Amino acid sequence: MRNYEIMFIVSPNAVEEDIDKINGQIEGVITAGGGKAEKVEKLGKRRLAYLVNKFREGSYVLFTIQADGAIVREVERRLRVMDLVIKYLTVRMDDDMKRLDKIKAHRQKRAARRGRAHAEGAERRGPSPVEQMPEE
Amino acid sequence: MAIQKQYYRRKKVCKFCVERIDNINYKDVKLLSQFVPERSKIMPRRISGVCTPHQRLLSDAIKKARNIALLPFATE
Repeated sequence: MRNYEIMFIVSPNAVEEDIDKINGQIEGVITAGGGKAEKVEKLGKRRLAYLVNKFREGSYVLFTIQADGAIVREVERRLRVMDLVIKYLTVRMDDDMKRLDKIKAHRQKRAARRGRAHAEGAERRGPSPVEQMPEE
Repeated sequence: MAIQKQYYRRKKVCKFCVERIDNINYKDVKLLSQFVPERSKIMPRRISGVCTPHQRLLSDAIKKARNIALLPFATE
């Protein structure tokens, strides 16, 4: 099982119900294959950065899923067939997440070490040398 | 004697290192668009000052964003 994000653009002519229907279908495909749709987000209508099928804008939908490659292949096939879906993109997220977790753990470890060193150093050093200097 | 530089050039720093942005996501158009000038090319490191590892992540993210029409490939 891997984490993926599938983002697709529905044509601006589609009404809200059409989008819901597509989402339902896709979710069905995912759960039927043994995957899990963790999050389904409708990002709303947005202007496209360039013309896609002669459309200037489109409704974005984002799926965050846990699935195998076979499911992703099937979902992509379905999206390709649907006339209302004008573009889609699948991104594998687990490598990215692993990298982020590693950085986060590293940061925490360093912060903890620095905190400890600071406390110890203050004890060992005793009164700071500046204070011991004779006044002129 | 070496010719003295007339202008003091400020050392560029990597935005992602300084602000501790780990997650360079393709959905974050606001962040990415800072690194695509008008011609919608990816800004080179020598201009933006982004460090190599972050530039790699950044260009990957920009390319993904282009694919899903969040960012343009070229300005018409």
